[in-house]
Amino acid sequence: MGGNNRILAILLGVLAGLVLIVGGLSAVLLLSGGGDDADSASNGGSSGGDGSSTAATSGRLRLGGSDPITLDPALAGDAGSATYIVEIFSGLMTLDEDLEIVPDLAESFDVSADAKTYTFKLRGNAFFHNGRQVEASDVKCSMERAASRQLGSSTAAAYLNDIVGAREMLAGTAREISGIEVVDDRTVRITIDEPKPYFLAKLTYPTAFVIDCQQAESNPRNWTRQPNGTGPYKLREWRLGERIVLEANTRYHLGAPQVQQVVYELAGGSLLTRFENDELDVAGVSVNDIDRVRDQNNPLNDLYVTTPEFSIAYIAFGTTTPPFDDVNVRRAFGLAIDRKRIAEVTFSGMLMPATGVLQPQLPGYTPDDKTLQYDPEAAKRALAASKYAGNMPAITLTEIGGGAEGSVDTQAFIEQWKNVLGVDVQIRQSDAATFFADVDAGRLQMFSSGWIMDYPDPENILDLKFHSRSSLNDIEYANPQLDGLLERARVEGDPTARIKLYQDAEKLILGDAAILPLYFSQNHVVVNQAVQGWIEPPMIIPRLRYVSLER
Amino acid sequence: MSVAAGPYQAEVTAVEQYERQAARNPWLLLWDRLRKKRLAMLSLAIVIVIYGAGITAPLIAPYSYTEQNLERGLEGPSADHWFGTDRLGRDMFSRVLYSARTTLIVTAAVVLSGTLVLGNFLGLLAGYRGGWVDSLIMRIGDVFASLPGLPMLILLNATLLPRVLQLVGWFEDHTPVSGLSSSGTASYFTVFGALALFSWVGTARLIRAQVLQLRERDFILAAQATGGSTIHIIWRHLLPNVSFLIILEISAVLGAVAGSEILLTWFGVGVQPPNPSFGAMLFEGSGARTFQAHPHLLLVPAAVVTSLMFAFALLGDALNDAVRGR
Amino acid sequence: MAGYIIRRLLWLPVTLLAVSFLTFSIARFGPGDPVTVAAGQIRDQEVLAQIRAERGLDGSIFEQYGRWVNRAVRGDFGESFQQRGYTVREIIFPKMWVSAQLGLVALFIVFGLGIPLGLLAAWLHGTWLDPFIISVLLFLRALPVIVVIPPLIWLFAVRTDILPVGGWDGVFDIWWIGGVIAVPIPDPHLYIPLVALTLPGFAGVARLVRVTALEVYTEDYVRTARAKGIPESRVATRHVLPNSLLPIVTVVGFALVGIVEGAFFTETLLGIPGIGRLTFEAVGSRDYDVILATTVIVAFLFVVMNLVVEIVYSWIDPRVRLGGSAVV
Repeated sequence: MGGNNRILAILLGVLAGLVLIVGGLSAVLLLSGGGDDADSASNGGSSGGDGSSTAATSGRLRLGGSDPITLDPALAGDAGSATYIVEIFSGLMTLDEDLEIVPDLAESFDVSADAKTYTFKLRGNAFFHNGRQVEASDVKCSMERAASRQLGSSTAAAYLNDIVGAREMLAGTAREISGIEVVDDRTVRITIDEPKPYFLAKLTYPTAFVIDCQQAESNPRNWTRQPNGTGPYKLREWRLGERIVLEANTRYHLGAPQVQQVVYELAGGSLLTRFENDELDVAGVSVNDIDRVRDQNNPLNDLYVTTPEFSIAYIAFGTTTPPFDDVNVRRAFGLAIDRKRIAEVTFSGMLMPATGVLQPQLPGYTPDDKTLQYDPEAAKRALAASKYAGNMPAITLTEIGGGAEGSVDTQAFIEQWKNVLGVDVQIRQSDAATFFADVDAGRLQMFSSGWIMDYPDPENILDLKFHSRSSLNDIEYANPQLDGLLERARVEGDPTARIKLYQDAEKLILGDAAILPLYFSQNHVVVNQAVQGWIEPPMIIPRLRYVSLER
Repeated sequence: MSVAAGPYQAEVTAVEQYERQAARNPWLLLWDRLRKKRLAMLSLAIVIVIYGAGITAPLIAPYSYTEQNLERGLEGPSADHWFGTDRLGRDMFSRVLYSARTTLIVTAAVVLSGTLVLGNFLGLLAGYRGGWVDSLIMRIGDVFASLPGLPMLILLNATLLPRVLQLVGWFEDHTPVSGLSSSGTASYFTVFGALALFSWVGTARLIRAQVLQLRERDFILAAQATGGSTIHIIWRHLLPNVSFLIILEISAVLGAVAGSEILLTWFGVGVQPPNPSFGAMLFEGSGARTFQAHPHLLLVPAAVVTSLMFAFALLGDALNDAVRGR
Repeated sequence: MAGYIIRRLLWLPVTLLAVSFLTFSIARFGPGDPVTVAAGQIRDQEVLAQIRAERGLDGSIFEQYGRWVNRAVRGDFGESFQQRGYTVREIIFPKMWVSAQLGLVALFIVFGLGIPLGLLAAWLHGTWLDPFIISVLLFLRALPVIVVIPPLIWLFAVRTDILPVGGWDGVFDIWWIGGVIAVPIPDPHLYIPLVALTLPGFAGVARLVRVTALEVYTEDYVRTARAKGIPESRVATRHVLPNSLLPIVTVVGFALVGIVEGAFFTETLLGIPGIGRLTFEAVGSRDYDVILATTVIVAFLFVVMNLVVEIVYSWIDPRVRLGGSAVV
């Protein structure tokens, strides 16, 4: 057995060697922790130094993010993509930090007496990233491209259809949008079908942004990899799943941004932990960390910022599906749940209980609670008054779920419906694909839903989601009285009267319990002290140009 | 195929040896050998305790697995709640018991349908009939074996489950039967159906290799000569001779299936809530921050799952040894 | 032998066709499609139908599959819906490279540590340490990946702050000594995923090595060689070592499958931009072309790998005939 032992000795030696190597490398790794930081700092220094940056533009801002679906403004329909697009591109109008609609590429605009024709005067100092001046024809061709059939944009129909001729273009029966006229190089005139006060707000959405049509035509598939935009930042690098690097556009027409480079780390993982390791400058706070961050003694507490967000979560009813075709059943379900306490317990108060449909800071918002209040007795009475009292059909609530469990709040609601109303609601989780298909087909009895505002106007949710003929009315809700109010509001010229109409519409929706508003979302972030001027607006607006770094 | 055949060759001869030794009651001899292995007995006890908990869950669980108590969420273990409570204040002990029931149902169903029925039958058929039947079965097996298992299971469950639920809903609407979709039966069915679809290949290959050797033996040839039908020969002569292989295969499949169900549910495409599953419990407790703040959310289900998987592994080993006459 | 390999290779396209058609139909079987998911909250049914037609998602499943095969044989695997403007190839290959690096390092560690551990156990045969080592390894295998990762992150990234939480930055970092000498060191992102991927693998390798090492010395040819007076060292290197390591070849495949499956969870939990995470995300958004491409590529690799293992096996051990004695 001597040979046996010799082999074993050799192999044990190999094992020992491996252990030594692994241990040694770990030691080197630990020692080099500081070296790593030095390395990255020098990187930042060198990249801040290169390029023709002005003295004011410097530094590197490190954020977390995820891969955008697209950087093509005409195609983007999701918040994730819009985050980058609003920094790289711009349109005629934009939203400032107070969410006021202000001219962007346009220098000024005139509205005709009948409020149907808008004449935009373009800025003389608006340039694409490659140095070409933005002209009126760029505006026209960008919108026409967005509305073209071949492009297949899912948002164009919603955002451009007010413009005369856009419907024909979308349907493929016209080759241009007749309502967009190039008057001269720096003047463009847009005619809309009816006097709609929210039209300007729609122009702030990426679908209406200006792109370099020549670039898009010459390379229809890949042009967004090096997009020639007009926004405050240029795309410098995009490595799928790894990072996106934006670089300041020093010729930006609203003033050069102050941070030279913005890096979005796309790899995932816990952002807060990476923030604490000083790998990121801004990070969202999750429900698991909120108690720690709120603790006065925790250093993170000084860096913690929370602001409202234009987004609402609600439970939607299939209002033509039994038993929710009966308003009494819908009301009973609303009266039986204690949203405030559940929001407090399950989300540690990270969400604001909804007070209605319109969210704080939106025109028309009022702080008084207009929703159904928790009242078990009233809930039981409402159920008893319904035509389904005693013969309640089986009910299933569907929600999007990538996880194994129903969301905690949904499970809590189900328990309350069972206890208060004696109704057993089944919960079903689908992935996004199944869920959307089921919602669109009107197959669902009740489902967890939500809406993120695309522009700060009540029309964007009340008309779009609740008008009986809106294609986005996925609860099949039809109320002629509501339709009347919404139609009047569309063309009401007096802002105060218009807001009043929307408030009436909101009351109607809530009284009819068409949906059960649950929460308004809030942003919860921690921001590094070195970051100045960081804003957490309630919706996606270009915000990087307000930021500066002091380190 | 020789990759598969190589190691099994040894197994086959071992089984033959064993058959010669166990002249009268081979099962009793097997049990005798197994009984002498302390680790095996301990593993068997663990499996029995966990499966027993699953069977008797409705009797011994102190709370319902859905019963919430928001006032008492996220508590650590106490006299009231032996394993603590989750975010909604549900009793973790009761949820563990009912999760064990889910594991029991899924493993039993997959072993019965996938391993015993599909795997054995196809393996016996392919091995005995040979020719195009053999080729067809084995080539189909190749296709399933070359599919990446986990992604396919997730895809299958993601697209199949909604369809099955629709179908069940339609069935309930048009027949007096009710309660199928609401009791979660449909989601169990989909999960074990999908698992069975992928779990038969290994068994079938193993059984086939053994049958290929058996079918040249005298007693099979004799049975053929006297005009026995295929089904008769398979049932009376082949099946008894591969039964030890089947036992080994089952012990291997049990652990794999239990693990797969947990992983699938963890990914949200397995057993649907509110049906409890270890996958769902682990999901709630995963995340480094959750683990830091409330370690019992992860540790309780993790301890049970790990014990079960460990017990399956040790038991499988011991059975293997016992069958090989060690 | 050549005939057998050719026969197997001829079967490959048939298997791949079956795999792709199966995946294709399963993906399209359920409700929901990539267009719906990509559209987000603004979903006008007329517009979506138009986009479907534009992207070739109309017509019967056989027409669609025909179109896909037609493109795929020319190397065009389509375009992603979740990453507009990127072809599936551009998305998949960088991610496969990440997964492959991680998988190969894991495989190397599994065998690099598993073989010595197995020999150690064999060497300690008869003492309580032998079953102890094997039991510990079996226990590690029983730990599900999803149980291992959260405590690891907590311990190394949250509590002690030694390692990064997640992400990927290549296998090696270059560490400059005095700015002159370049020393490659493992990237810190590597450690947690490697632990998670390798823990379940040791048991299989170590046990097999242990059993064969115990058996080889009792084999006839070893005794014969010794009887002939061949030096002990020569017996060891020429006869024992190759024959102890022979069965290891058969578990390479199994180990690799285990690593691939583990990578699925590891990549998702740790934010590693690999093929596992991509597949999971693609399934959730029904990114048809991505799902199909990943499945077909993985199936291709499985089949080829199995064949290679068979060939290597027959090359090491002439006793094994390709195609097997009993198997057609």
